[in-house]
Amino acid sequence: MRFVSEFRNPELGRALAHQIRELADPGHHYKVMEVCGGHTHSIYKYGLEDLLPDNVELVHGPGCPVCVIPMGRVDDALDIARRPEVIFTCFGDMMRVPGSDATLLHAKAEGADVRMVYSPLDALRLARENPDRQVVFFAVGFETTAPSTALTMIRARAEGITNFSVFCNHVTIVPPLRALMESPDLRLDGFLGPGHVSTVVGARPFGFLPADYKKPVVISGFEPTDVMQSVCMLLTQLAEGRCEVENQYTRVVPWEGNPNAMRVLAEVFALRPHFEWRGLGFISQSGLAIRDDYADQDAEQRFTVPGVRVADPKACQCGEVLKGVIKPYECKVFGSACTPETPIGTCMVSSEGACAAYYNFGRFNREKQLVS
Amino acid sequence: MNEPFHCITCSDEGCEMTVLEWDRGTGLAVCDAGGGVREEVETALVGDVSPGDVLLVHAATALTRLQGGDR
Repeated sequence: MRFVSEFRNPELGRALAHQIRELADPGHHYKVMEVCGGHTHSIYKYGLEDLLPDNVELVHGPGCPVCVIPMGRVDDALDIARRPEVIFTCFGDMMRVPGSDATLLHAKAEGADVRMVYSPLDALRLARENPDRQVVFFAVGFETTAPSTALTMIRARAEGITNFSVFCNHVTIVPPLRALMESPDLRLDGFLGPGHVSTVVGARPFGFLPADYKKPVVISGFEPTDVMQSVCMLLTQLAEGRCEVENQYTRVVPWEGNPNAMRVLAEVFALRPHFEWRGLGFISQSGLAIRDDYADQDAEQRFTVPGVRVADPKACQCGEVLKGVIKPYECKVFGSACTPETPIGTCMVSSEGACAAYYNFGRFNREKQLVS
Repeated sequence: MNEPFHCITCSDEGCEMTVLEWDRGTGLAVCDAGGGVREEVETALVGDVSPGDVLLVHAATALTRLQGGDR
């Protein structure tokens, strides 16, 4: 397959693994955070951790958009979805994220009209086809999916569709990274930057990590040799005493991002003063709200939602997992009470959540931990 | 990528799709998503496209045109 097979070449992977071993100082334990859930998924799917030396540890970051949605927002979604006039649309993974008393899938089973869509465009089509119903799109995701929501809202306005609205939960990646760097219980040597977020925002926004925190960043692709090469580039920076933002994923990521996408985001969305993240708490200017100019398409204004903050379940340690403080298998309920079939925490829901990645690919790593 | 296991919509994992047809008027392209699946894709962020162009698509919106496509 074009653009794929070249980046799954085992010989290249082995050569990179060798290079990483040569670069890693045996006297230092490296901790590298992969920001994005897509990387976490690739790392476990292809067993990349097994190719790395024991002293190069990959720490999983907060970049799974499903994993970071707090319970209170799911409750708000349920409140909208249960209204008889509403067709509530969302991506598949969101249907299984637990709220306080149910998931959207439960609500659907109880009679709510909840439908899975693959894009906001699908939701807009439903609105066009059902003019007597209110169609609401549950918008989640980072800067990769936010342009899609924004363009759909612009399209809805242009077509004069008035029964379409958006429950906006879009978030941005830079503020949680800054919050993580301020976290006292986390020591990192560098970051693998999010590849596809960077197609939109470019490489520049990650400059604060080397500038303010002296942590190098390599923006990385998602295929196995992409990730291996990025680790290699990061270790090279550390070995040479450099600290900067580098772009491994040049075949996709332009340094300046996509200015059209940034313009569209600025037209439709504004930063919220605060937004709550699962496990990370409230982070300033980390969430996107719909601008007043598009308030007619804002589901939070069209329908009154409870807006209550709900604490995470006590047994769930998604917060520590999202911050990379613990590995998924160190959580008390991992693989017992919390599985992909019956998730307690969000990290077990999405295929890109760290817990689901560990569970699905059987990478419990307990033996390795016990031996070491 | 393009594998059924992946959630291609909510995450920072895009899908590479090949343009089959493009409607300049609506700005929507019909794309081959692999495995015989066709999807309608918003092209407002990448400008004019032609059949054969390969796009990186998130949530049915093309974010960038991939280098090396048969154009």
